Amino acid sequence: MTSALQRARPVDTGGAHRRGGRFVLLVVILAVAVVASTWLAVSIGAVRIGLPQAWGIVADRLVPGLVPRTWTPVQEQIVWEFRLPRALLALLVGAGLAVVGAVLQALVRNPLADPFLLGISSGASFGAVLVLILGAGALGGLSLSGAAFAGSLLALGLVYVLAQRAGRITPSRLVLAGVALAYLFQALYSFVLQQAQSGRAAQQVLFWLMGSLGGARWHMLPLPAAVLAVGLVYLLLQHRQLNALTAGEESAVSLGVNVHRLRLTLFVLTSLLVGVLVATSGAIAFVGLIVPHAARLLVGADHRRVLPVTALLGAAFLQLVDVAARVVNAPQELALSIVTALFGVPFFLWLLRRRSVDRAVTVA
Amino acid sequence: MRLDLHGVAVHLDGRPIVHEADLLVDDGEFVALVGPNGCGKSTLLRTIYRALRPSAGLIRVDGDDVHGLPWRESARRTAVVAQETPAELDFTVGEVVLMGRTPYKPDAVGDAERCARALDRVGLAGAADRVYATLSGGEKQRALVARALVQETRLLLLDEPTSHLDIRHQLEILHLVRELGTELGLATLAVLHDLNQAAAFCDRLYVMSAGRILAGGPPGQVLTPELISEVYGVRAVHRPQLVFERLSRSRATNQAGPGASG
Repeated sequence: MTSALQRARPVDTGGAHRRGGRFVLLVVILAVAVVASTWLAVSIGAVRIGLPQAWGIVADRLVPGLVPRTWTPVQEQIVWEFRLPRALLALLVGAGLAVVGAVLQALVRNPLADPFLLGISSGASFGAVLVLILGAGALGGLSLSGAAFAGSLLALGLVYVLAQRAGRITPSRLVLAGVALAYLFQALYSFVLQQAQSGRAAQQVLFWLMGSLGGARWHMLPLPAAVLAVGLVYLLLQHRQLNALTAGEESAVSLGVNVHRLRLTLFVLTSLLVGVLVATSGAIAFVGLIVPHAARLLVGADHRRVLPVTALLGAAFLQLVDVAARVVNAPQELALSIVTALFGVPFFLWLLRRRSVDRAVTVA
Repeated sequence: MRLDLHGVAVHLDGRPIVHEADLLVDDGEFVALVGPNGCGKSTLLRTIYRALRPSAGLIRVDGDDVHGLPWRESARRTAVVAQETPAELDFTVGEVVLMGRTPYKPDAVGDAERCARALDRVGLAGAADRVYATLSGGEKQRALVARALVQETRLLLLDEPTSHLDIRHQLEILHLVRELGTELGLATLAVLHDLNQAAAFCDRLYVMSAGRILAGGPPGQVLTPELISEVYGVRAVHRPQLVFERLSRSRATNQAGPGASG
């Protein structure tokens, strides 16, 4: 910038390069984990299909004649029609929820932020339940995803307004407002479910609400994939703005970030993602809380590295969770939130015991 | 002329906090803004860096209305060092300093060099990979000064930059920004609490009270016992007392002893 700074000694910028190399290695490892867990997910189930067969079926579909056929048409149907779309949806939902968690934690500057804890998932569930039980007519023809999006946007907006005091968001109010709203929306959709004509339909919706990928079909993949892809690209382009926001709102303003516009965009984006994901797979707890923290432990706080690692880690994590949910109590499937809670609750308590969180909550 | 304010008024939640403020800071000048708690000095400063909007008046940096500029452009003209920034997430010092490049197009190599040079300049060479939250209070403030440096602005705003620091680190930070201001020809406006410190470090100062700027000028002319008793409700008395100065530079940065002499 000026003579004064140019006079300074030659400088060591090696740290950044070393971290960069480690980051690339980590991304490669995680990508391998994503592929491996997906392969496993496609192979495991009520009908066991060997890993080579599972691979062969997928390869044959992508490039016909590539692999000699060693499988039956039924096996092919199971893998291609049911397991592969389910496994791919698991990746999308896991990555999406984890990324939403990372964004919310930056947006509200609170390590406890998570779509589930802030009531956003419950809002989305409420919208989805209205459409599922009462039919699309109930919300003026909104689709399932549209209704879930409207619900999540409503919940996030309410949380934000309730948590604000004199233009500042305090962590304790945020968590309290989120928990209160989560209960409110749960009560609302429980009421709708209770009033439903068919008890069996209500039972199914209830199970699905706790997180299930059981209904996955190919046609359900494009919308979440598109929203996630657009969202991730946008967030990666904005990684410096996200970093600045994490350091504080006023600090971000002084660094040239249009905070109001960024916040509004992040609001809409996270609500959209949560809405679309909840509409496909119900409300899966804790993924958005655990995964971003794990990612930060691995690569630090810079969103340029946090976001890709969060997405990959979330994808692999939910894939394994879904495998566990199918295997543990076979042939019955566990709701995914039951499995994630087993990981999530101890993690949440550990996070609460950390001094930094304590400070964040009491200082407010 | 770098910063000038004309008739600036600020309201918070409908209440008037600042009235009709006029203020000037020129290139290379270190100007202090002092006044009792709640007098509106921090509010005025936050309005200059756009955390708040004025309800009336004009704030110009390099002749342009700051609030009419694109956000990036105003951040290329004005950098801020506020009180210790709370950081719950584990950014490294290097990442915190790099945030100063947010208003510019990314330039990986150039930015890394700028950050390393700035860290070197504030005495934190080699600290880039340390976690910011683990720094001491004085080191954190120096890292934030480095962040302001890589922002490459001509105007530097300081909002009580020394309020959490002990006397030695207060002097260290004030000397650092003072020296940088001179070296780089920066216009510096600092909200300060300690009147003696303000008087010792600034070229000129403004005194605020109840949202109004009461006086401005060289400290010797402005800080009269009459004005101080009117503004703060205390009596200013000349008495022989300890005056704190830095030790020689190398000792001051290497030694943890009390920085008092005289």
